[in-house]
Amino acid sequence: MKLFILLKTATTALRVNLLRSFLTMLGIIIGVAAVIIMVAMGAGAQQKVDEQIKSLGGNVFFVTGSFRASGGARASSVVKINEDDANLIEKQVPGVESAAPYLSANGQVIYGNLNWSTEISGIDNRYFVVRDWPIATGREFSTQEINSGAKVAIIGERIRQELFGVSEALGQTIRVKNFNVTVVGVLAAKGQDARGEDQDDVLFLPIKTVRNKITGIDSTNPKSVRFIQVSAYDGEDMDYIETEMTRLLRQRMRIPVNGDDMFRIRNVSEMIATRAETMQVFNTLLAWVASVSLVVGGIGIMNIMLVSVTERTREIGLRMAVGAKPADILTQFLIESIVLCGLGGAIGVVIAYLFVFLGNNYGIGAGGVIDSDVVLLSLGFSAFIGVFFGYYPALKASRLEPIDALRYE
Amino acid sequence: MSAALIKVSQAKKVYQMGEERVFALKGVDLEIQQGEFVAIMGSSGSGKSTMMNLLGCLDIASEGSIALDGIELANLTKNELATIRNQRIGFVFQQFNLLPRTTALDNVTLPLLYSQVPESHWSARAKQCLEKVGLGNRLYHHPSQLSGGQQQRVAIARALVNEPVMILADEPTGALDTQTGLEVMALFQQLNQQGKTIILVTHEPDIAEFASRKLTFRDGALIADERNPQPRLASDGLGQ
Repeated sequence: MKLFILLKTATTALRVNLLRSFLTMLGIIIGVAAVIIMVAMGAGAQQKVDEQIKSLGGNVFFVTGSFRASGGARASSVVKINEDDANLIEKQVPGVESAAPYLSANGQVIYGNLNWSTEISGIDNRYFVVRDWPIATGREFSTQEINSGAKVAIIGERIRQELFGVSEALGQTIRVKNFNVTVVGVLAAKGQDARGEDQDDVLFLPIKTVRNKITGIDSTNPKSVRFIQVSAYDGEDMDYIETEMTRLLRQRMRIPVNGDDMFRIRNVSEMIATRAETMQVFNTLLAWVASVSLVVGGIGIMNIMLVSVTERTREIGLRMAVGAKPADILTQFLIESIVLCGLGGAIGVVIAYLFVFLGNNYGIGAGGVIDSDVVLLSLGFSAFIGVFFGYYPALKASRLEPIDALRYE
Repeated sequence: MSAALIKVSQAKKVYQMGEERVFALKGVDLEIQQGEFVAIMGSSGSGKSTMMNLLGCLDIASEGSIALDGIELANLTKNELATIRNQRIGFVFQQFNLLPRTTALDNVTLPLLYSQVPESHWSARAKQCLEKVGLGNRLYHHPSQLSGGQQQRVAIARALVNEPVMILADEPTGALDTQTGLEVMALFQQLNQQGKTIILVTHEPDIAEFASRKLTFRDGALIADERNPQPRLASDGLGQ
């Protein structure tokens, strides 16, 4: 009841100096918008990282060969890891879900009069387990196809679109380099990876097919692969698995105790997470800077409220003469300050939503995810600033003596 | 005889001006009965404004006692004084002191905001008071759209809205031309006839003649207390 009157009084007072009220609010508007946008950008980046880690297929290691070290100088030849390494890792390292060998080459694929340049990868079915990558239509490779190096292909969604468009891909024959393969499966779309590359632009053949027909057989290491992708079960200790793999591979390569590793194990999810953490720290810092601007906005509010109290001293005197108690005056000015801040906060929220919306949909501004908690928090915080910075001017107003206030010129 | 509306005994007011103590009131004794129309006269510095502030509960006497409607004011808190101002006193000022950019109706409603009167009655009461001062057709005008006389009448309506026992008017005609001044004085006389106690502070002897009693202050003391059984009627001067 009386609150409505108080709100009406407050908005009337703020309307009288519309420009001044707006400029005062601007500090709060910018502060609130900045805090929300910064936090939203942080949350958006975090979400992206989570998606990237997920698209990798959970907790994944890349195992590659590295340069052979001889007496401090690096030899030119690269030690290759091979399919047997993959099999051993999968069998002997506890916590490992699967270890998938991977061989690749670049090449052209042709269907009818269409051609497309892509990555041609040799794998076996374990790869789909490691990547957690389901087949949309068709089937995986059969054991027989893998063992014999059959001319069958599973294609990514991008290639399907480029070569087949709306027509059926399954059962069609496409030309890869200089031989024909039959499409037996199409993978579900996976989107971009952490570096922004299209993961669906890929053609999979049985690893033996790639080795026999494209890359050729390395005579010293006939089962060599480019890398092994290893996935761990959820909740496994990744550091432990890494240590165990290192131990196993050193043993297999007969590396002496003080010798350098001739392979590299990279924990990819960790790398992404670390990068994300750095970004997070940066974002948190920005959010703090933004909250400082909120406080600065609050000081602006206090300043203008002090001016307002001085300007309206006679009004305060009159209100006191007709019966306003000090508490009534205090409430009146406090509500004015809260309305100023609350309104500024609300406008700030709207601007933040607009900014993030534009960023997400049109690439203007910055994309992100707005958490409703953050919105409530910043609105609450701006109302708190209204009370905190409005209290002193309001108290000053309420402590005026009626006669002094009435006579004030 | 009923008890006096106002009973002032040995009221003193002292201001500390640096080292010096200045007596604005040097011990005043005074009684005002219900229904009187009192003019307080005096030049500036005579103590008449101080007397007015004390009677209006805007200030507290340094010494002595002032009782309003049987209530001793000396020991009241700020909040209690505010309640007395709200319930028992209606103020009219020289400069009208209306809230700008606020309708006449809302200006008159202002004292009700701080009263116990239920909100549902506010609008009707404020309208009634505006009609009483002849502004029933100006309810939604802002002060800037009203003449000086009309503004002062809005202020008088505001003074009446809480049905106070007395109206305190501080130079109410000071900012008005003679003709509008007469109109305002006629309104006061009319209210007085209806039983309102009116206390008027002025330095114009002409204006004081409309009152039924004239108190003259000089140098912080009450030096004359004259009755005027046949006050001039302000409405007589209006016809010309």
